Amino acid sequence: MENGRNRKYTEAPIKILLAKPAIDGHDRGIFVLARAFRDAGMDVIYAGLLPTPEEVVDTAINEDVDVIALSLLNGAHLTAFKNVMDILNKKDVHDIAVVGGGIIPDDDKPILEKMGVTGNFGPGTPLKIIIKHVRERAMEVRKIKEDEYK
Amino acid sequence: MEDYWNLKINEIKKSFKSNDKYNKWKEKTLKPWNQKTGYKDKKYKNSSDMDIKELYTEDDVPENMDKILGNPGEYPFTRGIYPNMYRGRLWTMRMFSGFGTPDDTNKRLKYLIKNGETGLSIAFDMPTLYGYDCDSKRSVGEVGKCGVNVSSLMDMERIFDGIDLSRISTSMTINAPAAILTAMYFVLAEKNNTDLKDISGTVQADILKEYIAQKEWMYPPEAHLRLIRDMLVYSIKNVPRWNYISVSGYHIREAGSSAVQELAFTLADGFYYIDLGIKAGLNIDDFAPRMSFFFNSSINFFEEIAKFRAARRIWATVLKEKYGAKNPKSMMLKFHTQTSGYTLTWQQPLNNIVRTTIEAMAAIMGGTQSLHTNSYDEAWALPTDDAVKVALRTQQILAEETGISDVIDPLGGSYYLERLTSEMEEEAYKYFAEIDKMGGVLNAIKSGYIQKEIAETSYRRQLNIENNEETIVGVNKYIDENEKPINTLKITDIAENDQLRKLKDLKSKRDNTKVNESLNKLREAMKDENINLMPYIMECVKNYATLEEISNVGREIYGEWKEPKIY
Amino acid sequence: MSINNLISGILSGDNRSIARAISIVESADIKTREKIIKEIYNRGNAKIIGITGPPGVGKSTIIGNIAPMLSDYGKISILAVDPASPFSGGSILGNRIRMQETLSKKNIFMRSTSNRLYNGGLSEYSWDIIKIMEASGSDFIILETVGSGQSDIDIMNIADITCVVLAPGLGDEIQAIKSGIMEIGDIFIVNKIDREGSYIAIKDIRETLNLGNKIKTPVIGINSINKENYDKFLDYIIKWDKKNYKKKYIGKLKQIIIEDIYNKYSCYIDNMEYDENTLKKDPYTVAEAIIKNMNEIIDK
Repeated sequence: MENGRNRKYTEAPIKILLAKPAIDGHDRGIFVLARAFRDAGMDVIYAGLLPTPEEVVDTAINEDVDVIALSLLNGAHLTAFKNVMDILNKKDVHDIAVVGGGIIPDDDKPILEKMGVTGNFGPGTPLKIIIKHVRERAMEVRKIKEDEYK
Repeated sequence: MEDYWNLKINEIKKSFKSNDKYNKWKEKTLKPWNQKTGYKDKKYKNSSDMDIKELYTEDDVPENMDKILGNPGEYPFTRGIYPNMYRGRLWTMRMFSGFGTPDDTNKRLKYLIKNGETGLSIAFDMPTLYGYDCDSKRSVGEVGKCGVNVSSLMDMERIFDGIDLSRISTSMTINAPAAILTAMYFVLAEKNNTDLKDISGTVQADILKEYIAQKEWMYPPEAHLRLIRDMLVYSIKNVPRWNYISVSGYHIREAGSSAVQELAFTLADGFYYIDLGIKAGLNIDDFAPRMSFFFNSSINFFEEIAKFRAARRIWATVLKEKYGAKNPKSMMLKFHTQTSGYTLTWQQPLNNIVRTTIEAMAAIMGGTQSLHTNSYDEAWALPTDDAVKVALRTQQILAEETGISDVIDPLGGSYYLERLTSEMEEEAYKYFAEIDKMGGVLNAIKSGYIQKEIAETSYRRQLNIENNEETIVGVNKYIDENEKPINTLKITDIAENDQLRKLKDLKSKRDNTKVNESLNKLREAMKDENINLMPYIMECVKNYATLEEISNVGREIYGEWKEPKIY
Repeated sequence: MSINNLISGILSGDNRSIARAISIVESADIKTREKIIKEIYNRGNAKIIGITGPPGVGKSTIIGNIAPMLSDYGKISILAVDPASPFSGGSILGNRIRMQETLSKKNIFMRSTSNRLYNGGLSEYSWDIIKIMEASGSDFIILETVGSGQSDIDIMNIADITCVVLAPGLGDEIQAIKSGIMEIGDIFIVNKIDREGSYIAIKDIRETLNLGNKIKTPVIGINSINKENYDKFLDYIIKWDKKNYKKKYIGKLKQIIIEDIYNKYSCYIDNMEYDENTLKKDPYTVAEAIIKNMNEIIDK
């Protein structure tokens, strides 16, 4: 019981949901990330293949994750990431950060940023850069949550 | 069965001689040199985690060399399946293509034919690969993005408009809905009055590697395997020049496996399909000759060549010894190769031309029957016409300028390569034994064992790259701070809108009573394991039932599938 | 959201509030937990169904199948406990993969949790989570654990009915006996009865149970592909009585008190100067001194 108890709940390990919110089976990268996040001490939820955007958001809410990491290599990121963001907004969820990655052309990055999807890392990005970004985004949303439960 | 694999492992172990010469040289010459120069040796390994020595000598060549090597065109075909190899006929330059609407793809195919390509290869978009129509809710944003969209026979007619099916061979990269796309191709030929006996081509249809690596499926494994059996039996009887399956290691490698894992898991899948044909009551020598393979060619030159040679030797040996095949054609492993997509870097993309060239050389020296070379811009997007041209020219330069295709198996007899080939073979046999212990390849897949093996290898490799133990030029070494973006192919939503309009139009014009009738007949037939479904699917296709409508009959009967948890 | 909003959210069955409250009790201090639990303690009353068994037997698939069937009888929540990495403390929670579609369709709340947080007191801590799920109006709570370690077995003390899942041909029967899950099962489920060896597996389990004086314990073979015998399984769950109410209550009480005492003393333990002299003394003597010191402060 000494393990991790008696702290502010915002000090718990970062919880992250990994999802490919479209019909895209390229899961090599997402498995590597799952392992890397776990080895960085995070609790990782992997949504499995072919979740609908609704399922992604349901999972994120039920698991109360800090971060949703979306990845697509099939060129459908603009549509699929937007679907996830739309549902989050519709449910008025603003304390879950969303980061993206995959094969994302430079031109699309500002569009995704504007939607609220940050990072948007391409192939060959070192894991430590991705982990650092996830940590930063997680801390942002935790600040929001901490203020709520003072 | 495990006994057979262990027998093979022991045979190989016994064929390795003692390494006196190397050891003596190491003591007498190498060590003093290293001490004098202060050189500290480190461990060298290839992707398959094998220790690589700095020198190979005649002692490394297996003892029974004559027996296990064989001449080209002779058992066990280690040096090549044809007596004259590329002198008789060059490998087929088969560039995978397909994007946007069927009309876009039709233009691209005609462009490639004009530029000297000798075989067509069609890439389908994600909705098609998963058996969804362009108007499915799941297809939004994906229509025509990663390949061409085919929602019905009408789209197939547009892709091949003006192309004579009897004069080309077509390869279709389709798996879960393979039976439906194959049916479309057959029906298209019939409608063009081309005899099914005159068409040739390959359909990938390898569902086992989908569960292992590419993860594109519709139903539980058993249901897909039944459809593969039906395609196999139908084409063996009616379409004699059709390769009903292309057992694929490509995706296993792309998913992060090592070379030896690619080799072992692919051949294990191949053996499963052989069992499937035998269970369907066919004679092995009637269907094994039409089985083909598809491998990856990655960047470790010698490791790849050894892999191709080991694959041929294992296939011939096992088909002959274990399955009792009599026809040498059953024992010949024919394969298509694609250069590695994973080794392409997003950074400094022009470097990819060099990587692809080296990988293509490995495939050619490994004796491939056909080859796809990737374009340098494919880490960014689907390739532009210009990038595809460079990739095709790469093959033409290798074929016609370098002389590497003049001699069969030009590296055969290399101490290093022969040793590596035997070691690859040994490791593959170890995997076969392990898989058998788990109750066969299907159980090994359903329990997630194979997927986990690959994920572990892939993660280890990523850590090596992160720690700079493995170099990727432009990514973790020789980084260019001022990278400029390159021109890439942009696919607009025009394709999606165009497809949606045409499908809507089709649905209003076709005879819906006939569509439903044929779908109902298929549904009934599906319930009886012993019926061959191909004629029923072809009937649906002919009536312009859509891909998704036909797929949904199976979804109803068999249910859908979710992957096992591997972590 | 304040704690008060959170509580009304839980009571009205709002998934976000339930999820957030679980995050809080997963890691917050005893006071915050108390605030939440006090408010919801008497609300709700669910039957708790424990499902355990070795990895790979298909527990998630079974839950994915049985949960929608159960949802005809009431509201369902699911709590899945996954092992954490012994090295990094992180975990990969993949239990949802085979269920998510069903969960979303039927609006079933599911939460994964890693066992790292609960070193040595898994069942008592999940008590809090289960209370929240109960207060949200659940009629059935399914609790999934991997039956591989002692703490995974202990957690089943909290369940009203414990289902042990096994599959033929993996040597599970022997493992199961070794790990002690044969003792705790109220129902034994043999999954994948389409597989070879299932008859023998069922027979072996039956015999082991008979030897252990559990002649009446049911053993049901099921097939998760065509749902064969799921109706029998469902029937047992529906008809099963709730049990162990008192035992669970006392268990939780002990945990709260032990935790409270531990917290009070631990600051002493952590803040003590461990100089050479201290380390020479035997720990019994040092502990005695701390307790004495502590009691004096409390008395004041």
